[in-house]
Amino acid sequence: MKIEHKELIVVGAGPAGLSAAIEAAKSGVKAIVFDENSKPGGQLFKQIHKFFGSKEHKAKIRGFKIGQDLLQEAEKLGVEVVLNATVVGLYPEKEIIVKIGGEVIHYKADAVLIATGASENMVNFRGWTLPGVIGAGAAQTMMNLHHIKPGNRVFMLGTGNVGLVVSSQLLQAGCEVVALADAAPKIGGYGVHASKVARTGVPFYLSHTIKEVEGEDHVTGVTIAQVDEHFQFIPGTEKHFAVDTICVAVGLSPMAQLLKMDGIVMDDTKGRTVPKCDRTGATSIPGIYAAGDVAGIEEASSAMIEGRMSGSAIAAYLGYLSSDSSEHRVDTLENSLSSLRQGMFAPENRGKKIETTEEGIAISQNLLKAGFVTDDEITRFPGFRKEMKVHPVLECTQNIPCNPCQSACAKGCISIGEHMTSLPISVDGSTCVNCGMCVASCSGQAIFLVAEETRAGFGEVTIPYEFLPLPAEGDGGFALGRDGKKLCETTITRVRTSKAYDGTALVTMEVPTEYIDKARFYKKIG
Amino acid sequence: MLDIQKKLKEIGPFVPEEDDDLLVCRCEEVTKGEIRKALHQGITTVEELRRFLRCGMGLCQGQTCGMITRRIVAKELKIPMGAIEPATARVPMRPIEMEIAGNEKK
Repeated sequence: MKIEHKELIVVGAGPAGLSAAIEAAKSGVKAIVFDENSKPGGQLFKQIHKFFGSKEHKAKIRGFKIGQDLLQEAEKLGVEVVLNATVVGLYPEKEIIVKIGGEVIHYKADAVLIATGASENMVNFRGWTLPGVIGAGAAQTMMNLHHIKPGNRVFMLGTGNVGLVVSSQLLQAGCEVVALADAAPKIGGYGVHASKVARTGVPFYLSHTIKEVEGEDHVTGVTIAQVDEHFQFIPGTEKHFAVDTICVAVGLSPMAQLLKMDGIVMDDTKGRTVPKCDRTGATSIPGIYAAGDVAGIEEASSAMIEGRMSGSAIAAYLGYLSSDSSEHRVDTLENSLSSLRQGMFAPENRGKKIETTEEGIAISQNLLKAGFVTDDEITRFPGFRKEMKVHPVLECTQNIPCNPCQSACAKGCISIGEHMTSLPISVDGSTCVNCGMCVASCSGQAIFLVAEETRAGFGEVTIPYEFLPLPAEGDGGFALGRDGKKLCETTITRVRTSKAYDGTALVTMEVPTEYIDKARFYKKIG
Repeated sequence: MLDIQKKLKEIGPFVPEEDDDLLVCRCEEVTKGEIRKALHQGITTVEELRRFLRCGMGLCQGQTCGMITRRIVAKELKIPMGAIEPATARVPMRPIEMEIAGNEKK
C-alpha cells in the first residue's frame, strides 16, 4: 500500500478545472487533473457554437476550440491530465481515492480543487422512463462527441439556453425539431438563440408542459397541455405530436457530493446544494476549493474565470505566489467575471419581469412567447436601419454582455459603446463594404446584411447559415420570415465561406423589395 | 426536528392521487405513491426514505430522482424545499465494483 503525494489535485477537466490547473501551474504549482470521462474538456467539446462575451472572454470562438486551446496550454505548462480516472471519495486531511482501470489509488494533496460540474435535472411525467426520453445534454453528447443522431423527430422540453442551443444543434444534425415547450410563461434563454430556432419554423409552447409520453418499448408520441399559474394542467388544452425522441432541458444540479462527504459547509438555495465559498472558491476547509458549476450553475465562460481565480488563490495558498500578487490577479479576474454577469440575464435579474431595455425600449413580447421579434417590433430597436445600399441590420434586442460585432466592423458601421450589454446600433451614414465580418462574428446569428434595391423591385438579404449542404449560387427556394413561414420565392445570388468566418457561411438571397425587412431564412425547394 | 405526531395531524390522511403509480426512482423502481404513503407513516427525511424504500440508492445514487423526491416531500409535508436536507453524500461517489474497491495499488 502506498499513498501518492501531489501538490494540487483538480477533480474535473472541464473549463473550470483546466483553467485553475493552468493558472496555478503558471506560478509553478505541480497540478494533476482527474476526469472520469474518456475525453477531457467537460462540456466545452460539445459546444459547437460561438461563445458570447468580449474578446477577453473568448467571444466568437467556438467552445470546442476553447477546449483545445486550454488542453494545449495545460500540456505546455506540465499539467498532468488523467482520463478515465473516477474520484470515488474525498476524505479528511485531503485524502483522495481514485479508481483508475482495475484498481484504486490513494492520493494526498496539499490543495484540492473540486470542479465536478453539474448533472441534468429530470421531470417524471407518465412515460419518462421509455427509451427515447433523454437529457438535452445527452443529445449534445451523442451528436457532438460521438456523431450519433439522437432521433429523427424530437420534442424539446425547456427553453433555457441549453434547450435553445441543443434545439438548433439538433436541426444542424438533420433532426426535425417538432416543438419546444416550457412550463414557464416566457422563454428562459437568450432571444437570439430562440430566434435561430423560430426562423426555421419550429413552434414554441409557453406555459405548456408534458402530460404524457407514449410508446410500447420506445417513444412514439407526446401529449402536452397548458398549465395555469400554479402549474396545474388546464383541461382541453392538450396537443399531440408524433415524435421518437424527447429531450429534457429543465435545469442543472451541482454535483457537490465530494465536498459534502468531506464535511465542507454547504449552502442550500432553492434546492441546490453548493459549498459556501469566498470569491476565490475557498471552502470552509483551508486548501479545498470549488469552481465552476459545482459552486453555482452558470456557464463555461464564467467557469473559466472562476477557475483562474481559484488557481491564483491556490498558488498563494501553496506559497508560490505572494498574497498581494494573488489578490491583485483575483481583482482583475473578478472585474472580468462581473462584466459577464451584467444585463437582463444577470444572476440578480433571475425571475424578474423586465419590460424595457437599458435604453428604455419596450422588450419584444413576441420574442419571449414565440421566439421571434415581429416585423412591427423590430423597427424600434437601434440595430434596425433603412438604407438603399447594403448595410447591417442587427436584430439583437436584449441587453446581454456581448460585443464582438463592434470590433468586427472596421468601417464603424456598428456601435455598442463602453457598456458591453448595450444594444448594438447600426450607425447612420456609415459606409458598409459588405465584408460580412459582422454577420460571422455574431454568436447569436442575429446580424443580416440588407440591400434594399439591387435592381428594380428587388433587393438582397445576406443571412448567417450553419447548415449543410450549403445552397449554391442560382439555387431556388423560399425566403422565410422570422416566424419561419414562407414569404416568397427567392434565388441565391451568392454563397460565401472563409476561414475568417469560422464555419459560418454567408448566404445572399434576392427577394422583392417589399420583403426585404422580413426575409431572414432560406429553405430549399423539396 | 419536526414534531411527527403534530405533522401527521396537520397533513391529514393519505389520499390516493391519480399518478401515484409513476416511477420516481427508476434505479430501484420506487413510485410516487410509495413515497407519499411512507411520509404519511411518519417518515420526514430523504435519509429515512432511502433506508425504508431504497429510493436514490441505486446505480445513479439519486442523481436523477433526488430533486423530484425532495419536491414530493416538500409538497406532502407542506414545508419549503430548502428545509429538506438532501441525502448524505458518502464514498463511493460513483458505483464501483467490490473487486476494484478492494484492489488497492501496491
